Amino acid sequence: MFKITKRALLAAAVSMPLMASSAWAEGLISIIVNDPANPYWFTEGEVARATAEELGYTANVSAHRGDTNVESNLVDAAITNGAAAIILDPANADGSVGVVRRATEAGIPVFLVNAEINEAGIAIAQLVSNNAQGAALGAVTWQGIVGEEAKYVEFFGNPSDNNAATRSNGYNTVLSQYPGLEKVAEEVANWDRTQGYNRMQSIMQANPEIDAVISGNDEMALGAIAALKEAGRLEGTIIGGFDGSPDAVDAIKAGEMAYTVLQPVAVFSREAVIQADYYIKNGEPMVAEEKQLFDCLLITPDNVDQYTAPFTLSN
Amino acid sequence: MQPLLEVRGLTKSFGGVAALSDGRFTLRPGTVHALCGGNGAGKSTFLTIVMGIQSRDAGSIRVLGKEAQFTRPSDALAAGVSIIEQELSPVPAMSVAENIFLGREPTGLFGRVDFARMNADAQELLDSLHFSISARSLMMDLTVAELQLVEIAKALSYNAEIIIMDEPTSALGEAQADELFAAIKRLKEQGKGIIYVSHRLSEIFEIADEYTVFRDGRFVGEGAIADVTRDALIEMIVGRPLTEEFAKSNTPTDQPVLQVNGLNAETWVKDISFTLHRGEILALYGLMGSGRSEIFERLFGLSPDMGGQITLNGKRVSLSSPNDAIAHGLAFVTEDRKGSGLNLMADLRDNICMARLDELSKLGFMNRAREASAAQRMIEAFGIKTPNDRLVVSGLSGGNQQKVVLGKWFLTEPGILLLDEPTRGVDVGAKREIYRVMSDFAAKGGAVIMISSETDEVLGMADRVIVLRDGRISGEVGRDALSANSLLHLAA
Amino acid sequence: MNTNADTQDFKARAADYGQRYGILIALVLVCAALALANEFFLTQRNIINVLRQASINGILAIGMTFVILTRGIDLSVGSVVALAGVVSASLATTSATAGVAGAPYAFYIALSLGILVGMVAGWVNGVLVAYFNVPSFVTTLGMLSAARGLTLLYTGGRPVPSLTDEYRYIGTGDLFGIPMPIVLFAAVFVVALVVLTSTRFGRHVYAAGGNPHAARVSGINVKRVRMAVYIISGALAGLAGMILAARTGSALPQAGIAYELDAIAAVVIGGTSLSGGVGRVTGTLIGALLISVVNNGLDLMGVESYYQQVIKGMLIVAAVMLDQARHKHA
Repeated sequence: MFKITKRALLAAAVSMPLMASSAWAEGLISIIVNDPANPYWFTEGEVARATAEELGYTANVSAHRGDTNVESNLVDAAITNGAAAIILDPANADGSVGVVRRATEAGIPVFLVNAEINEAGIAIAQLVSNNAQGAALGAVTWQGIVGEEAKYVEFFGNPSDNNAATRSNGYNTVLSQYPGLEKVAEEVANWDRTQGYNRMQSIMQANPEIDAVISGNDEMALGAIAALKEAGRLEGTIIGGFDGSPDAVDAIKAGEMAYTVLQPVAVFSREAVIQADYYIKNGEPMVAEEKQLFDCLLITPDNVDQYTAPFTLSN
Repeated sequence: MQPLLEVRGLTKSFGGVAALSDGRFTLRPGTVHALCGGNGAGKSTFLTIVMGIQSRDAGSIRVLGKEAQFTRPSDALAAGVSIIEQELSPVPAMSVAENIFLGREPTGLFGRVDFARMNADAQELLDSLHFSISARSLMMDLTVAELQLVEIAKALSYNAEIIIMDEPTSALGEAQADELFAAIKRLKEQGKGIIYVSHRLSEIFEIADEYTVFRDGRFVGEGAIADVTRDALIEMIVGRPLTEEFAKSNTPTDQPVLQVNGLNAETWVKDISFTLHRGEILALYGLMGSGRSEIFERLFGLSPDMGGQITLNGKRVSLSSPNDAIAHGLAFVTEDRKGSGLNLMADLRDNICMARLDELSKLGFMNRAREASAAQRMIEAFGIKTPNDRLVVSGLSGGNQQKVVLGKWFLTEPGILLLDEPTRGVDVGAKREIYRVMSDFAAKGGAVIMISSETDEVLGMADRVIVLRDGRISGEVGRDALSANSLLHLAA
Repeated sequence: MNTNADTQDFKARAADYGQRYGILIALVLVCAALALANEFFLTQRNIINVLRQASINGILAIGMTFVILTRGIDLSVGSVVALAGVVSASLATTSATAGVAGAPYAFYIALSLGILVGMVAGWVNGVLVAYFNVPSFVTTLGMLSAARGLTLLYTGGRPVPSLTDEYRYIGTGDLFGIPMPIVLFAAVFVVALVVLTSTRFGRHVYAAGGNPHAARVSGINVKRVRMAVYIISGALAGLAGMILAARTGSALPQAGIAYELDAIAAVVIGGTSLSGGVGRVTGTLIGALLISVVNNGLDLMGVESYYQQVIKGMLIVAAVMLDQARHKHA
């Protein structure tokens, strides 16, 4: 028994380098995401990794956490390692242009996911959620529940992220058509749950009457829910989120959140790897348009059961 | 009578170098036993082994007749051996009682500290020793002398039979030292044994009953203080017969160098006037807090101008910063060598050059060759014992450190030396050399003002003494009229 | 007896060499291990990458060395990186909305202004520390927050994009084939080395840090020295901020977050004592390179960034433990 185990171990040890080199056959795909501490980006990285390995590549997931300098170092490492393709969630619309160009000039195709850069024609593809569509979808749903008369609060994401403005514009385009909807506060909470919680507490001090909250993402909405719950004012207040995070889904199940808009991150990060594979094998883009928008989906108490994995609505 | 402590053949070496061989010591109850020796004599090694801080290589230690094997300080404490170290380590924000009972506070219900009982016990202890200190006052509000007394009380609270005092008066003035000596006498009457370590021979002759001398890590001799002369003891410590203890070669002139008129200084020092002459050694004498150091700080530009006139070589000067004072030829050897004299992290060369950087550089760039030669010159001039000038000064003995400070100031080619306690914590041999440097400097046309708490030193070196009391001049004594009595009379 | 003394001397010298070169040996060992683990590590391209990656942290760490040598700390460098970056970029942008009136100005005007912004921030730190006796930890913690706030106010939270090519030269250009960030890093290092080892001011820095009281009594204007080191640190943070902006082509208001920690880490790994007075800028250089090599190597091997943080943390603590052991020995 002991001998066999030992031999098996030995065999494994000997074959490991062989296996590693066989995995090199299809090459390396470097996946660079923002921050895997957040389940959204974690899903982005893991789906891309799974897809790449499924297609026979070695995958390498790393994170820049919003720092363009770190992003630059990671892209340098991918170039040095001779990656076959880079899947990148860019740190900044302006600040990431340089690194994408550097990789492209080094002959490595770059596929951007989740966020865009402000220059076209460098990356092979930019696959992002249709934030405008998602925001409109959310706002219409929200208005349908809230009605035509209400005092409400809007939470705004990090102003340096284009999506914050895109979503806010989408909300306002829909809601401004109802004069009875009065926005009593619009607060920047930087996509952050704690900041959403703190801001909500302050807003409640200033406004004794709040009927509804619409938030640029789930985290800020969950912060607002926590503050409302603590003050005993959650009952009857309608809260809408954006992203479709697991926590938000739990809140919907618990009846605390009315709905959330699911970003199809699992869909486009899989698609990005598939397109990268096509490009590697055929030398030309699989889809002609560089900018590809993926429609968002709605999660409400009605379909919440179909949420089978983080950011995945199976149907 | 059985000795409290009996040590025989104590041996310890570090990395093949013997720090102590044949350490021998006998302490009898009800005596004060002076442990004498220069720097490097092995005193510290001896004490740290007795306290269980270091292990011994060989030898026996018997406490109250029983062989002792201390492996940590708490073992020694439990056996009744207690030390009051040179560097006290009080917890400043705690009360006297809390410090005395630190780590073994009396507790009441649910482990709560019983402050009432702790304060009462501490007060009883302090009263029994005739220390006029409140157990409730905070350590940070006490004077250095009072801190020493608290340490003694703390030592006794462990029921110590043997109390080791390492340079207990190094931070005390004369009056405070007297207070300490009174306490030591009471301990003696109670039958305690005291090992007393001090560089100050006058103290040893005042307080000790017996002596033991170590030199170069070896036991040299022991005996009763009553049977030994001061010179004989010095000879034993130093290892060779010494000529005169206070080498004095200067003769004061009547040519004024520095005149001070109606000078005020921080914050209670008022209306100080005196004249310093070329070739003179002038002493400022007074108790701690009489304003001696404050006058130096004002003269050296370390404290702000608060009125009064300073005239240097006939010219009015303001001396508004140390740089200004140095430019006018003043040099200041401070009282606190480690606190304000040396950069302990730097080497000899950097320390020696520290006050002379302007002259050793050109357009802001240092001239390294000149730095090195300046350092070498001073090392030779003062006989500093060091392998090279790149040795970090924290590794030097007290005497050599003080010579580095003197070297730093002599490099500035000063006309006036301000010396604040120049021989504190320095062994007998080095003391002598410092006295020689002082008087040579004055003999070559310099002028010296010194502050000293050691009456002997003042009597031995000063041409003239100005006595201070509560921030004012209370008298002036010429060399002919100098006596310990006249000084104390004017100072107290 | 004689041989004994020789052994002692040899031991002392070995300890001294260990102190001087221990961290260098560590760097060489790490490089050797990485070269074995990854075939690309020792390529010319990757070596250039490592140096370029080390340059920004290295420049900050050199400024930090001056401050730490005087017993201080400068927590504000990361925020000053952002502030100097956006202010200077707003003079060098071709964007109509993000720039100041009349932009783009000549690159040297924009660059000078960035350095000036850093110096002003450092001057405020220095005055508070030296003349108002506010602990440096508190002062620069305040500046960390204030400078970040000013950056966000100045930009409205939006990046300053589209920098001119001349301006971007300091980030993307090269001199005789060596990327400009590396050239600037090397230049800063050489100047700092000369200042600390060969000038009067350098002696003042060591003395003021080793024992400020003794330095003051020796005629050194300790307050002025303290103020100067914060200005130096601020100026270098300004330079680093502009290189960062130039590299990416736009200045980001959220740039430089937590950069002070890496800078302090490089200084500490390099053997400079946090209690002041002891340290070398060469050590800081090696410390910065070591951090960069470790980051790069782990990136190349595809180690997740969270492990990287753990490894960096252990590296810092190990360096300080080594330092402590050394001091105990001495």
